[in-house]
Amino acid sequence: MPIRSILCAAVLLFAGAAAAQERRVPEGIGANVADGYARVSLEAFAGATARLHAGLEAVCAEPTREGLDDIRAAFADTVRAWGPVSVLRFGPLVAENHFERIFFWPDPRGVTLRQVQGVLAEKEPETANVEGLAGKSVALQGLPALEYVLFGTGSDAIGTGEEDFRCRYGAAIAGNAAARARELIEAWSPRAAFHDDFAHPGEGNALYRSPLEVAGEVVKALGTSLQFARDAELLPALGETPSKANGKRAPLWRSDLTFDLVGTQIQGMLALIDVAGFGEALDEERQAILDALRFDLEHTLGALEEIEAPAEAAFADEQDRGRIAYAATALQGANATVSERFSAAIGLTMGFNALDGD
Amino acid sequence: MRSTAIDRRTFLTLAGSAAAAPRAFADADMGDGALFLGARLNDGRYEAAVIDEKARDILVLPLEARGHSFAIDAPRRRAVAFARSPGRFAVAFGMADSEPVAIAAADNRHFFGHGIFTPDGRLMLATENDYDAGRGVAGIYDATDRFRRIGEFATDGIGPHEVVLAGDGKTLCVANGGILTHPDYGRSKLNLATMRPSLTYIEIASGGVIDKAELAPELHQLSIRHMAVDGAGNVWFGCQYQGEAAEQPPLVGRHRRGREIELFLAPSETQRRMRNYVGSLAVDASGDVLATSSPHGGLVAFWDTATGKYLCQRELADGCGVAPFDRGSVLATSGRGAVVKAGPDIVSPLRTPGADKPSWDNHLRRL
Repeated sequence: MPIRSILCAAVLLFAGAAAAQERRVPEGIGANVADGYARVSLEAFAGATARLHAGLEAVCAEPTREGLDDIRAAFADTVRAWGPVSVLRFGPLVAENHFERIFFWPDPRGVTLRQVQGVLAEKEPETANVEGLAGKSVALQGLPALEYVLFGTGSDAIGTGEEDFRCRYGAAIAGNAAARARELIEAWSPRAAFHDDFAHPGEGNALYRSPLEVAGEVVKALGTSLQFARDAELLPALGETPSKANGKRAPLWRSDLTFDLVGTQIQGMLALIDVAGFGEALDEERQAILDALRFDLEHTLGALEEIEAPAEAAFADEQDRGRIAYAATALQGANATVSERFSAAIGLTMGFNALDGD
Repeated sequence: MRSTAIDRRTFLTLAGSAAAAPRAFADADMGDGALFLGARLNDGRYEAAVIDEKARDILVLPLEARGHSFAIDAPRRRAVAFARSPGRFAVAFGMADSEPVAIAAADNRHFFGHGIFTPDGRLMLATENDYDAGRGVAGIYDATDRFRRIGEFATDGIGPHEVVLAGDGKTLCVANGGILTHPDYGRSKLNLATMRPSLTYIEIASGGVIDKAELAPELHQLSIRHMAVDGAGNVWFGCQYQGEAAEQPPLVGRHRRGREIELFLAPSETQRRMRNYVGSLAVDASGDVLATSSPHGGLVAFWDTATGKYLCQRELADGCGVAPFDRGSVLATSGRGAVVKAGPDIVSPLRTPGADKPSWDNHLRRL
């Protein structure tokens, strides 16, 4: 073949389409999100996991019924702190499979249950310490695994001291999550390369070259989280018809924390939108799009808060089912708003072919 | 039952189009010029469109939902359009006859959006998800009997995406992307921590896997998804990286049976702009130039198939579809309606982008 130069023969294509766009993204969006959202939510999560870890170690040393109750409450706090963190599904949270190691979900084939039951049966000492656990399957390391340890069949024995291994395995999971939370804080701290790139987008950066590119990452994270909440957390348990409802297909049904999880994720998204400062850079007409997005998210939250039955039963309960279906529809609406109208409003052109996974 | 309902809807969609489609067939310019086939969203409607080398519509087939790619039977001037994953419909249609045939996904299977015809035109094979078992299969369809599904064989991997016919005409090469999905969970990726993509070579006559190539363990999150075969019979593939954005591994690779996989990097700025995502590949008519599209970065990169050397890039916002045009060029389409003849030495716009133009989907094929 002919020898070709590295540069294509110079031809300018569609130059008009590349005209400069008016800036509708807050200049400081990266710093806003890094310092006002990422680190704040991670600090809360690190605190919750550290308390859970310490509490579990105390109960393992001196088992009591009250101690177990406190641990279960600390687990609920941890899940609620995870909600806002889980929304940041890019950068540090994606590295080294941190997300899956902290919260392995969805799990349609029941890998977590099968593997955790195996661990509890075999009582391999290595699984019951933080370092040993880090080398095991991701499904054994996260909060869904810990939920089974603390709320699944036989978990009451943790409070009576009859399940010493189970207690120490639980403590290892909490310790593992706490260690990961600290690593994530480090990655988002001003000392770290990722923070520098994200908070100070510029021409020389490896990843983010402009505030608009940072905004694109945030908008994509919002869209991913909205889709995840609906498709992976709510709809599988809801089923197409009431007879197909199965609360046991929802995350964290044993601890009845399903709606706390989804709810705190939505609270996180609302906070992220505010902290990012999107509103500041938009005119009144475009503000209305942001308001429509908030409206959908707030009504989703309202519907979830009204659910009365425990998660295991709620998906099949006529009234609660209506609330969950409403929430799913509102999440879908919010996702459409984010990926279409809101993206366009801030000057992002989300391509027709930009969807992941094709 | 889900499959039956979709099947009926496909027929209704096709019935509704009966007035338009045959007319298009009748008017079709059946000269020997090149024809190209792509899925698109046009004025709110999903369709498959055949265009000529001047980007004029020759035939338009309505689809009930978003399409993806096509199995092409060039000698018999027909094709099968597949739904986008996790799709449950496909439609076979020809340039010479006017009766499209709806193909519903089998129970507990969905299409991934790609397929091929055997050279004799007797069989059509499609990549599918056996989602309850979490394994990839190739569905086998009798193209002489209204595309009746007559069987399947395992692709020896998870998430098979594109499939191409090897140069011998008897062997399939399947890109097992490695990503586990289940339609109950939408498009959520279920196994990012443990994914293990591969290329498998399958003998069509027996369904047996005769060769398999995998990436180095540290690249296990590099999902192999799309392929094209060059003039020397090498399989080129394009990847989508599921790991951290800051890592920018090579996204383009070459494989020849009996050898190790080779990976090729673009210059760092181009590599960065590809955003860890290659959407589609095509080899030009000479077999010497490979084109890879990166819709996220809005560029088509060109590579020398003999050496793997990166040649250059062309800007094409939201550009993804690429198909062989002539020596040294491909036809490329974009989600903004652009249709461009492009290569290292040429750029010739046939359609300019515009808000009122059809949004071309990921893949363009030459009929």
